[in-house]
Amino acid sequence: MQSRWDVGEPEKPTINSETEQLKSELLTLNMGPQHPATHGVLRIEIWTDSEIVAHAIPHLGYLHRCMEKHSENLDFRGVIPFVDRLDYLAAMNMEWTYVAAIEKMLGTEVPRRGELIRIMTAELQRIASHLMAFGTYALDLGAFSPFLYAFEEREKILRLFEEVSGARLLYNYIWIGGVWNDWTDEQLERVAQFCDNMELEAKKYNELVSMNKIFVERTANVGVFSLEDCFSYGASGPVLRGSGLKWDLRKVAPYSLYSEFDFDVPVGEGEVGVVGDCWNRYYVRMKEVLESIKIIRQVLNSSCF
Amino acid sequence: MSVYFETSGLSMLNVDINKLADLINGHVSGSNAIVNIPEDLKKCDPSITVEATKIYQVIEYLKTNSEVPFNSLHVISGVDYVEWMEVCYMLTHYNPEAPRQLILKVKITDRLNPVLDSIVKIYAAANFQEREVYDMFGIRFNNHPDLRRILCPDDWEGWPLRKDYVAQKEYNGMAVYPDSKMNFEDREFIVRQDMIKKAQQAKAQ
Repeated sequence: MQSRWDVGEPEKPTINSETEQLKSELLTLNMGPQHPATHGVLRIEIWTDSEIVAHAIPHLGYLHRCMEKHSENLDFRGVIPFVDRLDYLAAMNMEWTYVAAIEKMLGTEVPRRGELIRIMTAELQRIASHLMAFGTYALDLGAFSPFLYAFEEREKILRLFEEVSGARLLYNYIWIGGVWNDWTDEQLERVAQFCDNMELEAKKYNELVSMNKIFVERTANVGVFSLEDCFSYGASGPVLRGSGLKWDLRKVAPYSLYSEFDFDVPVGEGEVGVVGDCWNRYYVRMKEVLESIKIIRQVLNSSCF
Repeated sequence: MSVYFETSGLSMLNVDINKLADLINGHVSGSNAIVNIPEDLKKCDPSITVEATKIYQVIEYLKTNSEVPFNSLHVISGVDYVEWMEVCYMLTHYNPEAPRQLILKVKITDRLNPVLDSIVKIYAAANFQEREVYDMFGIRFNNHPDLRRILCPDDWEGWPLRKDYVAQKEYNGMAVYPDSKMNFEDREFIVRQDMIKKAQQAKAQ
């Protein structure tokens, strides 16, 4: 074969067509229903082209709890423990959405202290949920210690919830017309301490993980989800905000007493990578933890407490 | 009192529902948009009902128009009223300056072969939502790319959320409601309470 340096026109390399042929053969893999990376039960049929996933079909339903069917035979109060299971990492918020709908239907008035307690518990639960996201995200990337740091803080929230509701994960705490139990002054004092401590911890997490070179390399510019995709797929929450839209129902259609509180809606700004990638989605959650702390402090300083 | 989603002035979160119904009627012929206004606007939300055969055109118009666009789909849910079935589309407009929300309903009277047009081409979110409505209510969606059951097994019989649903006795050789796992005590308690009530009524008479 002639060397390509000898002649003006280089020969067309044959390796390209060979790789084309290799690419035409896809390997079908079955991932799940039990898999350490799914954090739940989910089966995905995957067509892989070496390390690239060409096509994936999710098979859901392994965790279907038939909640609607059960609810047909229950009264309004009986459904609250079922809605806990919709998101077991943020059960308080799930209870609140259901209870709020029932209260609107019945026209129930909630006392001011009840609303404030709901806001406080919901924000604490949001922090706990984001801490879980932070911890397991780092764990899946192979870093074990952030997981332990996150669980140490989450444990403090769960202990408080355990004292007021009697359960650690699925609370049945927010009831129609208010909440089940009141918080004592000592517990509120501990919430204030937790807020002070959490601010320092969040700073530590950012130093440890957010700006870590290895973490940034693996998450920045990966899995970019554009705003158009978000609209089309109906994404909301941190995913939508990570793609750069300042949308939060607490601001856009303020429910409960949220219009009285002063807080920002963090969005993905692309400090690292591009807006809408994995890193920005992750960092929106870290910034939301600080906003939640802001709200909790305002609740603790308000007149009813 | 906490007010969720301001509903004063016949609007649901920045939508003038009468005007929107007129717009739909004007731009989609035969859509026959009717406004449903509840008795108490603080407790219920107003909605628009359109003709089932025109749902694709109506939603396409709602997404692409320039006056009141809706750029996202939240939920598709089914309701069984026994005499008829209803499919509700909750549309929203993701724009912090002008947020918008709308409930769009279609009525289906044919229980034996209920069919609707799929809107997956307009909103990708409709894919799984329509599969769930199919799974639970047996409503088929024309032109859906992958219309399979989503939560129940593929070979499950019947449509669980219909009011006349009776669960099958056996599935692949397994009992669906095994006696050892049924809560008979509660049922006996309810039956006993009924009998006591009836006896008391008879005694009073």
